Amino acid sequence: MKNNFLSILFLLAVIMTACNPKFKEPNVDKGSIDASNYVALGSAMTAGYADGALYYKAQQNSYAYILSEQLKLVGGGEFKVPFISPSSLGIGSSNNAPSVLGNRTDCQGVVSLGPVKLATQGDLSIIGNNVYSVQGPFNNFGVPDVKAIDVDKNAYSNMFYQRMASSPSSSILSDAVAKNPTFFTVMLGLNDVLNYALKGATADSLTEVSGAVGVGFEASMNNIIDKLTANGAKGVIANIPSIKSMAYFNTIAWNALALDAEKATSLTQFYSVLNPVVVFNEGNNGFIIEDNSQPLGYRQAVEGEMVLLNVPLDSIKCFKWGSLLTIPDRYFLTLSEIQAIDDRINQFNVILKNIADAKGLAFVDAHAFFSKVKTGYNYNGVSVNAAFVSGGFYSLDGLNLTPRGNALLANEFIKAINEKYQATIPHAEATRYPAVVFP
Amino acid sequence: MKKIFYSSLFFTIFYIGYSQGYQVNLQGQVQQGMGGAGTACMQDAASLFFNPGGASFVNGTAVDIGVTPTIARSAFMDANTNQVSRTNSPVSTPFTVYGLFAVKDSSKLKLGLAIYTPFGSTVQWEDGWTGRFALTRLQLRAIFFQPTVSYKINNKLGIGAGFVYADGKVNLQKDIPVIDANGNYAHAELEGKANGYGFNAGIYFKPIEKLSIGLTYRSQINMKVNSGDAVFTVPAALEANFPDGTFKSSLPLPNVTTLGLAYQINSKLDVALDVNYVGWKAYDTLSFDYETNTTSLVDTKSARMYKNTFAFRAGAQYKIKENLFARLGIAYCMTPVQNGYVTPETPDANRINYTAGVGYNIGKHFVLNASFYFTHLKRTDTNLETNLSGTFKTNVVAPGLSIGYKF
Repeated sequence: MKNNFLSILFLLAVIMTACNPKFKEPNVDKGSIDASNYVALGSAMTAGYADGALYYKAQQNSYAYILSEQLKLVGGGEFKVPFISPSSLGIGSSNNAPSVLGNRTDCQGVVSLGPVKLATQGDLSIIGNNVYSVQGPFNNFGVPDVKAIDVDKNAYSNMFYQRMASSPSSSILSDAVAKNPTFFTVMLGLNDVLNYALKGATADSLTEVSGAVGVGFEASMNNIIDKLTANGAKGVIANIPSIKSMAYFNTIAWNALALDAEKATSLTQFYSVLNPVVVFNEGNNGFIIEDNSQPLGYRQAVEGEMVLLNVPLDSIKCFKWGSLLTIPDRYFLTLSEIQAIDDRINQFNVILKNIADAKGLAFVDAHAFFSKVKTGYNYNGVSVNAAFVSGGFYSLDGLNLTPRGNALLANEFIKAINEKYQATIPHAEATRYPAVVFP
Repeated sequence: MKKIFYSSLFFTIFYIGYSQGYQVNLQGQVQQGMGGAGTACMQDAASLFFNPGGASFVNGTAVDIGVTPTIARSAFMDANTNQVSRTNSPVSTPFTVYGLFAVKDSSKLKLGLAIYTPFGSTVQWEDGWTGRFALTRLQLRAIFFQPTVSYKINNKLGIGAGFVYADGKVNLQKDIPVIDANGNYAHAELEGKANGYGFNAGIYFKPIEKLSIGLTYRSQINMKVNSGDAVFTVPAALEANFPDGTFKSSLPLPNVTTLGLAYQINSKLDVALDVNYVGWKAYDTLSFDYETNTTSLVDTKSARMYKNTFAFRAGAQYKIKENLFARLGIAYCMTPVQNGYVTPETPDANRINYTAGVGYNIGKHFVLNASFYFTHLKRTDTNLETNLSGTFKTNVVAPGLSIGYKF
């Protein structure tokens, strides 16, 4: 009887094991690429910059790093990154610390969830501490703030490059080429328009299309790709997303001035004498913005104009910015400025596509991908969109990506590589990468 | 302005399943051994379920108790990442109790009570699996009570009907894609009691000795959750966005129309054939109505778009000895789940069920029946709502045993 019982148990165990469905081992193939020495060129996103700063964990979650992990499945080698110490706070472009999501009290005493800087400044010891001899030579040449026209500048003075440069006189491109990559990705050109946009189109400038290497976008990009492909390396070029798709430019609406009937009437009265065109209604109204082309130096914002994420909200809430006082020009982009920026991006993107085609390189339409995110879509049951904090894609700086966003971007590269080079590299499982962390 | 930094964090969709893939269509062991066909062959008290119209043709009073431990294993391979995730669901134990009683002073009237569990399973996906934001665990428990009257009009024709009261419980869990400082994803658990009513009616016709025909209709039953509990485990900062509270939902269990034939080929061999037409079209939308809505927790409506389907069941019984029977069966079931709508709780596919069984009479009163059921499902799809893309495979093995007593 005992034997019978045991044999029934055994039979059940066999059934349960046999019951597990099996899958055929999927085909994972490198196609026609040699991934053994992959080099990434780009700016903040490529470096992994996130939440307003470069720090260790963010560096580990750049799309380039995630891509390198997937390339390891098809013979990819070590992907060396100029890592900041895991114990370091990290540092941002303006020596700032990274942000985390936390509770902030505004000028009206209202507590709300938003980005809070981890410290009054970042880890300044990172600046000037060159790590090339200890950690290099590198594979990730993602350098925050770099423009395409800066990439081949010798002794380029950028604190993020200076800490990883092979010598005081080298250029990003010369270091990248010296690594002798067998495969590369290039995602450049965003800062050639973004640095200008981030200043509300009041400072910096849009990179020109034409001009010599180091001046014009086309010549600079051709120079970069020529040098990277000189030894026959294959690679990927990504184009430039529209600033219209980014949380930084879409979070604070042009008409976020919410008024009750009484306030609307009194504001309208206030402006009626000097500027009767300015009218306020109950509900949402366009902010009053600085505009020196107007006779009175101000006007009301119109639909499509963008208030930047760095606008001081307390000034709006408590100090009449946007209603009785104007919002300064550097905190918003007008329709014509947005148009000029968009036009330039489109010109650059035509050039990037032409270069990719001419050189037979894979092409990532990042412009289309970021637009898709702006519209919003579902990835494995996770809603992905461009909403600040909650969208899952943009990190707390509103420009660069969360680890999840980076994994999704890495998958766009993988799709392009698989298609162009007949490879079957598995995608990264983006749901395993976190988005904004909630307290 | 306050809401600038915290806009809607949409809690997309809750999935629940009337899991055809796990639908435990396991009833009497005799019929189970014959592919699930039994609408026209009246052998035992299980006819209360299969055809109330024919129950009156079963001799005497009969009681039958059975259980069918069901082992289901699913796995999913993501088409993009090649990652394989598996279920480690516990064994479910659907049971059946049939009691069919002759009424004194009447050879024509029979009363019966059938208690069965057509949905009683748990799907548990492994931790951290690809589809965790669609579903991590789904537990369905439903028990049906069916008091039945069956009347034999004459030696060729019987009719019968039963009232069905269904009482159930559903527990659905999934992860929410917001992460806390410890790296844990938020989690939602919805639990509710559901109940519904319906009926099961049938006609049994035996034009000649060797041939019988059955026609039955089991009505749709709307299982309603009127006040379920929704419990959210979320980071502290989001607690106001995901308030615990109650929810309403409902799930249609489809109607089933069945035409069955049974034919006695010779004194040893019987064959049976059932064709089911299942009104799955009723399951077009799954909605959740939360008592307390926030910008993050909105009521959801999720398209299911099931279509009506057929199932074909055939089986044979061979009398080896006077008290020993062997059975074989096969069934082909079409899936109600259209392309683009496959979900982790219903990784359903067209499928073939293979069944076998034996019956053994002990003396005049007792009968032992055993059956074995196996099926394999494979479905490759990209869900239109979640974009979860890949291949689901499921194996189901269900050995069953019943004991009957008749006098």
